[in-house]
Amino acid sequence: MMRKIILHQKSLLVALLLIMSVFTIDTGLSASAPDNPMDRLQVAVDDILKILQSEELKGPEKKGERNQLVLNIVADMFDFKEMARSSLGQSWNTLTPEEKDTFVGLFTTLVEQRYIGKIDSYNNQKVLYKKQRVKGDNAMVYTAIVDKDLEIPIVYRLEKNKGKWLIYDLKIENVSLIVNYRRDFDSIIRKEQFAGLVEKITKQIEKSETSD
Amino acid sequence: MVSHYLNMKRNFILQAGCIVFLLFTVSHAWTAEAADLSTVSEPVKASDQAAGGNGSGDDAWEDENWEDEWESTDTIADPLEPLNRFFFHFNDKLYYWVLKPVARVYAGFFPEELQIGVRNFFDNLRTPARAVNCLLQGRVRDSSEEVARFALNSTVGIFGFGDFARDILGLHSADEDLGQTLAHYGAGGVFYINWPILGPSNFRDSIGRFGDAYLHPYMYVDADWEVIAGAQALERVNYTALTLGDYELFTETALDPYAAVKDAYQQYRKGLIENK
Repeated sequence: MMRKIILHQKSLLVALLLIMSVFTIDTGLSASAPDNPMDRLQVAVDDILKILQSEELKGPEKKGERNQLVLNIVADMFDFKEMARSSLGQSWNTLTPEEKDTFVGLFTTLVEQRYIGKIDSYNNQKVLYKKQRVKGDNAMVYTAIVDKDLEIPIVYRLEKNKGKWLIYDLKIENVSLIVNYRRDFDSIIRKEQFAGLVEKITKQIEKSETSD
Repeated sequence: MVSHYLNMKRNFILQAGCIVFLLFTVSHAWTAEAADLSTVSEPVKASDQAAGGNGSGDDAWEDENWEDEWESTDTIADPLEPLNRFFFHFNDKLYYWVLKPVARVYAGFFPEELQIGVRNFFDNLRTPARAVNCLLQGRVRDSSEEVARFALNSTVGIFGFGDFARDILGLHSADEDLGQTLAHYGAGGVFYINWPILGPSNFRDSIGRFGDAYLHPYMYVDADWEVIAGAQALERVNYTALTLGDYELFTETALDPYAAVKDAYQQYRKGLIENK
């Protein structure tokens, strides 16, 4: 009887140790927050939500200020250069360094506009953090936003760049932002080359800025 | 009444026959396509993958290639592009001139909770089709969950307005349709179709939609077509009211909205087919 209890305690101890070791491997790193992609994402999203819920920044006259604060966080979270490169696919390699710089700038504004537009409709929806998968310098973070009683899955793809996790694509309901832009850009480049694409993006940005 | 029923039954058999025939055409078209690919450039790649697969049997999910996994959507053929683009613009105007103004008025009258209830009601009516398609894909458990959801939500959930089965029992809906079932058995999308009013689809999913209609309760109630059309219009207006702004934002930050919507449809369907 006694033996049995000791055995039982032993197995409990082993189980406990196992659990602890799993924790140190998996989430032990989360103590130093930025090293864990899910934590880093959550901190950034929480900061954005704080801005959106802040009483001081409420109202349409504060919109510009509010958007700027959100975009500062966005700029720190997204790897826009990598996103721009990836969204052009093969065509990127044919560009001169100046053209590349121009394109990264335009692409950044285009994505920011979509992001800000989406965030404007934020109305206290709940964000859920489901799980993360990390492999070396790559990670995927699975989240969902509960909107009107439905869960909309959003998966972020991150890469570690100079010790910092940066987002370089996201999938909303399985639709990848980068892949979608690539198909979109392709359709323009095939007919109007790169110059036509630059012209179209410039026009698009101006149109949205004046309509605001 | 009896003759009406018989007529319906005969029609059903006839149309079921058509679907089976079309299915064969699709699946054959697809196998031909696949065979084509494999003879041109695939052999090298295939053997590479086989070798890689053997080496990393332990933790398969860790060793899968994320790049490929993330971006493996193929573009779909679009032989009807001029016509599709025409209907895309038609639907776009329909949205801005009719659907959106109506949905705004509707949203002004009915609170969001009611809109969610209406959405659940229409969603519940599609349960028979979902249950059958789960079964056709060999997913017996999901299928029985759908049956349970239908029974519970139609009664305790008051004609499907509430999602009792999900909120209380944690029974989630499996979003399956005939288009996904066909894909499950290897059918590709074949080519893109942008239908007037109905919007983006492809050859396979259009057949699926047609087949699923036979499992919709509309087929089995003795109602005039005007009533059914009215119900479908209500469902659409309700959906638009719940998603106001999404369409505008997506198409306005795209450069070629037609191309962007076409790709989004492809990616979205691929996600559903793979049950991600």
